[in-house]
This record gives sequence, C-alpha cells and structure tokens, in this order.
Amino acid sequence: MMPLTMVKTGEPNIIKKVGGKDETRKFLESLGFVTGGLVTVVSEIGGNMIVNVKESRVAINKDMANKIIV
Amino acid sequence: MSIKIALAGNPNCGKTTLFNALTGSNQFVGNWPGVTVEKKEGKLKGHKDITIVDLPGIYSLSPYTLEEVVARNYLINEKPDAIINIVDGTNIERNLYLSTQLMELGIPVVMAINMMDVVHKSGDKIYINELSKKLGCEVVEISALKGTGIKEASEKAVKLAKEKNKSIPIHEFTPVLESVLNSVEAKIGFDVSEEQRRFFAIKLLEKDEKILSQMKQVPNIEEEINYIENEMDDDTESIITNERYLYISSIIKDCYKKTNKEKMSVSDKIDKIVTNRFLALPIFALVMFGVYYVAVTSVGTIATDWANDGVFGDGWNLFGLAIPSIPSIFESLLNAVGCVEWLKGLIIDGIVAGVGAVLGFVPQMLILFLFLAFLEACGYMARVAFIMDRLFRKFGLSGKSFIPMLIGTGCGVPGIMASRTIENDRDRKMTIMTTTFIPCTAKLPIIALIAGALFNGAWWVAPSAYFIGVLAIVCSGIILKKTKMFTGNPAPFVMELPAYHMPTFGNVMRSMWERGWSFIKKAGTVILLSTIVIWFSQNFGYSNGSFGMVDDMNDSILALFGGIIAPIFTPLGWGNWKSTVAAITGLIAKENVVGTFGVLYGFQEVAENGSEIWATLAKSMTTLSAYSFLVFNLLCAPCFAAIGAIKREMNNAKWFWFAIGYQTGLAYIVSLCIYQIGTLITTRHFGFGTVVAFIIVAAFLYMLFKPNKDGTTHQLKRNIKLQKQKI
Repeated sequence: MMPLTMVKTGEPNIIKKVGGKDETRKFLESLGFVTGGLVTVVSEIGGNMIVNVKESRVAINKDMANKIIV
Repeated sequence: MSIKIALAGNPNCGKTTLFNALTGSNQFVGNWPGVTVEKKEGKLKGHKDITIVDLPGIYSLSPYTLEEVVARNYLINEKPDAIINIVDGTNIERNLYLSTQLMELGIPVVMAINMMDVVHKSGDKIYINELSKKLGCEVVEISALKGTGIKEASEKAVKLAKEKNKSIPIHEFTPVLESVLNSVEAKIGFDVSEEQRRFFAIKLLEKDEKILSQMKQVPNIEEEINYIENEMDDDTESIITNERYLYISSIIKDCYKKTNKEKMSVSDKIDKIVTNRFLALPIFALVMFGVYYVAVTSVGTIATDWANDGVFGDGWNLFGLAIPSIPSIFESLLNAVGCVEWLKGLIIDGIVAGVGAVLGFVPQMLILFLFLAFLEACGYMARVAFIMDRLFRKFGLSGKSFIPMLIGTGCGVPGIMASRTIENDRDRKMTIMTTTFIPCTAKLPIIALIAGALFNGAWWVAPSAYFIGVLAIVCSGIILKKTKMFTGNPAPFVMELPAYHMPTFGNVMRSMWERGWSFIKKAGTVILLSTIVIWFSQNFGYSNGSFGMVDDMNDSILALFGGIIAPIFTPLGWGNWKSTVAAITGLIAKENVVGTFGVLYGFQEVAENGSEIWATLAKSMTTLSAYSFLVFNLLCAPCFAAIGAIKREMNNAKWFWFAIGYQTGLAYIVSLCIYQIGTLITTRHFGFGTVVAFIIVAAFLYMLFKPNKDGTTHQLKRNIKLQKQKI
C-alpha cells in the first residue's frame, strides 16, 4: 500500500483505496478512480501527475495523488 | 407540439461539436439562471419546433460541482422529452458511468457513441446491438467531427420524444442493493412521479442533501441505510458507485473488444514529451512566444494599423483601389444631407471616433483568438493549465488562471471572459479581479507617452509596467486568499486531459468568432453610450454666463467635474483637472488618455505616443507624479468594455463592485505610496502623506507575510455555525 505519488511511471497499478473528503473522493470516483480499478502514471512534474485511468488521461496535483492509495 | 431534447455527456466527448452540427447557426447562448454556467440552446436544423439544449459537460449526477447540479436540476424539473447521451467511444467505460445515471431519470435516452471513426481505426470493436439490448436504450454510432450518424441519432431522439414512452432502466445492481432500493422506493410519497422513483430512491440512499431538500416529504430510510452499510461494510455512496462500475464492466465484457492492449496511445507519447518535467516549460514558453509574436507583434500590428490608421483613419487600399475611411464616409454622408454642426461633431468626433478606437483592436484580437481556439481545441491548453498549476498555486490561483491572463495581454475583455473555463468559483472570481492588472495593448500608448515625455524614453519604463502588473496579481492573490471572501483551501486540481487531435476548421473559426463577436457587441452598446456621454460633457458647459456648446474645453462640464474631483488625486501628485479628466476618459478606452491630453493641451491631433505634447506634459508633471499617474492608469478599473465583462462574468452586483473597488483602491494606494515615498527620497520632504504611505506599506507587508491560517479557522467557525443552526 502506497500513495500514487510513489509509483513509478508507466506501471499499471490497482487502486486499493480512494481517500479524502466526500466531495473530492466522489469526484475522483466519477472520473474513474475506483477501488479495484487500474491506474497508470503517464508523466510527473514535481508531484503533480498525469495518469491514465479507464482509458482517459487525468491531470491531478500532488495533494490529490496522495489520496489515491495503490 | 414543441419538443425539448437535452444533450448530455462527459466533458471533452464532442458534445459541443455535435450541438453545432445539429443546430447549425441557429443558437442562443445565455446563462443558466443564477449561475455563470453557460447555457446553449438551439433549434434542430429543419425543425422549428424542436429545441436542443446543450447541458454542461459532467461526469456524474452527484451534487458536487455546479455543472452537475445545474444539469440534473434541469433534467429533474424541466423534464426534457428525450436525452441524447453522447459517449466517447474511445473511453466507453468511464462514460457509461454517467449514462447509467441518466437512464434512471425516467426520460427516454438515445445513446450516441461518438468518435467511432477513431475506434474503427484503432481496430477496437463496439457491438452496439448487444450494448443496446443490455442497456435497454437505442444506441447509434456517430462521428460528430465527420458528421456521420448525426441525423439518425436526432431522428431516433425525436421519435422517442413523440412516443412519450417512459423509459425504465433495465440495469440491475446486486440483489441486496436491489431489495433495499425496492423498499426505499415503496416509502417514497406520491409527490414523486412513478418513473422518477428509482432516481430518488438512489439519491435518498446516497444521502444527497440537495435532492432531499427538493422533496416534499422525505421518508425515513435509516433502517435501510444501516442494513446495507452493515451488509456490505461500506458507506452507501461508495456502495452505489462501486456497484455502478461493476455493472458497467459486466456489460462491457461482451460489447467491447480492445485489440491493442499494452500499446501506448499517441496522446500518451506526446504527453511524455510535452509535459516532461524538463521540457514542459521550455516548450510552453516557445509556443507562447510564437502566439504572442504573431498575434500581437508582427501580423497583429499590421492588422491593428490597418484598422486604426486605414479603416478608421485616412482610408486604405484594396489592390490599388483607394477605399475611404469610415469617418470620412460618415462625414461626406452627413455633409450631403446637410447635418447641423453639433450633431456632426457628436457623430464623427464622439461616436465614430470612440467606437472606432475600440473596434480598431478587433482584427488583432481575432488573430489572437484564432491561435487560442486552436490550442484549446487540439488539447494543448489543458496541458498548459496543468504545467502552470504548481507555480500559480503558490499565490492562491489555479493553473487555469494563466490562460485568461495571457489573453489579457491582448485585451482584457476576452481575458475576463476566458475565466469561464475555471470551475472553482473562488479561483474564477480572483482571476476576473486580477486579469486586467496585466497591461493590455490599449495601455501601451500611455506607457509610451509617460516614458517619452518624462523619462527620455528610458528602456525600463515599459518592462516596469509589466512587472508592476504581475506583482499586483501575485500580491493580490496572496493577500486576498487571507481574507474572509476567498478563504478556504485551494480547490484540488483535477482535470481530464482530452486526447490530442486536429481540430476542424469550422470549430476553431466558430470559437474565435464567438469571442470576437461578444466584444464587438459590447463596443456597440456600452461604449457607444459612454462615448456620447463623454462627448456631451466635453463640448457643453457654461461660458459667458449661459449653458451651451463651448469652444474651450476649459469651460466644459467635464472640466468642471474634473476640477471637483481632482483634489482626490493631489496626494498622488497629479491633482489637476487635466490629468483627472484624462484618467476619466481612459475609462472609455485606455489609449484615450493620450488623445485627451492632446486635446487639453490644445493640439488637434497627436501621434499614438503623443510626441507633440511631451514638452508641455513634462512642464506640468514631475517624473514622480507622472509615474504615479502611469501606475494608477495601469491598475485602476479597466475600460468600460472590460468593466462590462467583469459585470457579466461576476453575475453578482456585490462582487462586481467589490472587484472594481478593489482595483481602483489598489491603484490609488500604490500610486500614493510611489509618489509620497518617492518625494521623501528625492526632496526629503516629510509630511502627512508620507506618514499615510508608510502606514499603508506596513499594513501591506503585514497582510503579505502574516501566516495564512489556510482557512481552517474560518472553516471551523463555519462548521460550528452550521451545527448551531442544526440544533
């Protein structure tokens, strides 16, 4: 178990948990970040990252990435 | 019989393209009531009685974003006759998350799977017959970009709407959840219609407070919630979300075959370079330099010169054919009809000159918008927001604020309008308030005038103006975030990045024109009116004891008015009526400041940088008061056109006045400090003004460096207040 920020780019990972406030968690879920789903980091700048989830690219900042546990 | 069809789908799924294809030019753009979310309506091509409503792009029907609330309120309360649900075929799983929710609303749904051309090309397969059977709705393959399948989709939607069949969602969750949903549905009163019951039951389980407040009688379902939360060991919201995705993957299995599994998509490959941690900023700088160079410097200047000096100046040539300028056309027209002198003055010197000054910027703006529309449509702008976010977050703005400011270097009006893309309300308001601090093209003549007249054209004056603009934005960001109005944690940055693609010519042109047109419209209304007012006050007044037209502007109402309010600016070093009046006319269009000085110093016509009046101006001002004047004009309330844009985008009188007040107030105190402290340094004169300046500087520094409580205390207070209200 580790936050998404620690993940190596290019490797698919299974989401174990999505944390954070209801509001953020729900928004992440509607974008496809759900427990059991796959997520791949495409690129990373200073903790902010672009990830691939359910066939779409999503840009998230460090705080958000830390809330996604893989 | 009139029919309403709503378009619903995720952001970036091609909804706008489809909307444009369905309605053509037959569109009406407005706002959803009470919010600044854009509402687009149009008539279906060839059907006057069929209205297409473009809902905002959303990922779900949860109550967490403004767009979602707007969209679902419309769907629940207005009950359109049918929904066309646009689904991005290249990203079907995530898109179906919204689709399953739309189908619960009891409104007939036609699913239009978009980007089928891309899907076919990549070799993936979507079995639409299977999908249609499993989802229980009509499914059509389309390509909004290429225009295929669009007719079929709209015809199916119209047919469904006419049949008035209530749709019944056939998707089912796991038996436990279904049984709980059934028992909740049974408890719902008759205020909810039959077909909407499932939606309300789900929202009740999700404890969606916005929906609860819309129901006349809220059933007590605590028992059900407790039961299912124990049974599935999770909260109800997560249970339903997970169930949805489970259901989607169960149907996707049979309907969707992906051929190239591990291969990286083209977009991913481009992103690897464009958003690379070392290359991102250099590439971005290069792109921006290119846009700026073409749109503002090279081609843009030619276009502006053509408009200002040709169309609204001395006439221009079209393939050797001399075309007279618009003012001269008006002049000869008015001469021909024998117009009275004063009316001629009003029309030519007032209206045509005033409106023309503003319209002169249109060609340059259109070029800038063309580039920006292209960058937006191809997907690069979304990456820019991502790249800039880290920097902008440091002073309380989001990466998305960068684009408005960039446009603002050309003209503040479209810059302010571009703030619409920022979803977070606080970030958007902050961006609207600070965008016009960046010197726009119309402020450049003022800079040239002051630099030339009092600083011998020193090289540093113009860069210092930009520096002050950027500094004003940064400091405003930091300070405003600490005030009650902007308190709270910055909105987390989450943004879907659309796949890179070549935009169609039509869409880019349409987006360019939409922005340009809204500016032109403003020139025809707000600016037209204000030029008339200023012209009258310039040319009428008391002379020789009677009211009438005056030859000498010193006798005009404007001079009188300027004289009354001029003392306000004495602490800034330019408390004379001429400077005051120049600043006031700057409100029509900033470059008017130069022209006004010209008129006031008795010159008929001055060059753009006012070189004729440099000597006179140098006599009436000191370097300090001139610089203070310059800074005031850069930072204070922008021109009427931009003020109008602020009013429209804020959509709230209180916020509008706060923004204008803040800008003008900031301009005033910054200019005051520059003049007073500068005077102390150069002449060692210490007075009351100096004390005030030092107090302001101290207060400013305190605000800048005081620790930001990050809104937690405010948040805490708010929570306590809320709890108290509940008790």
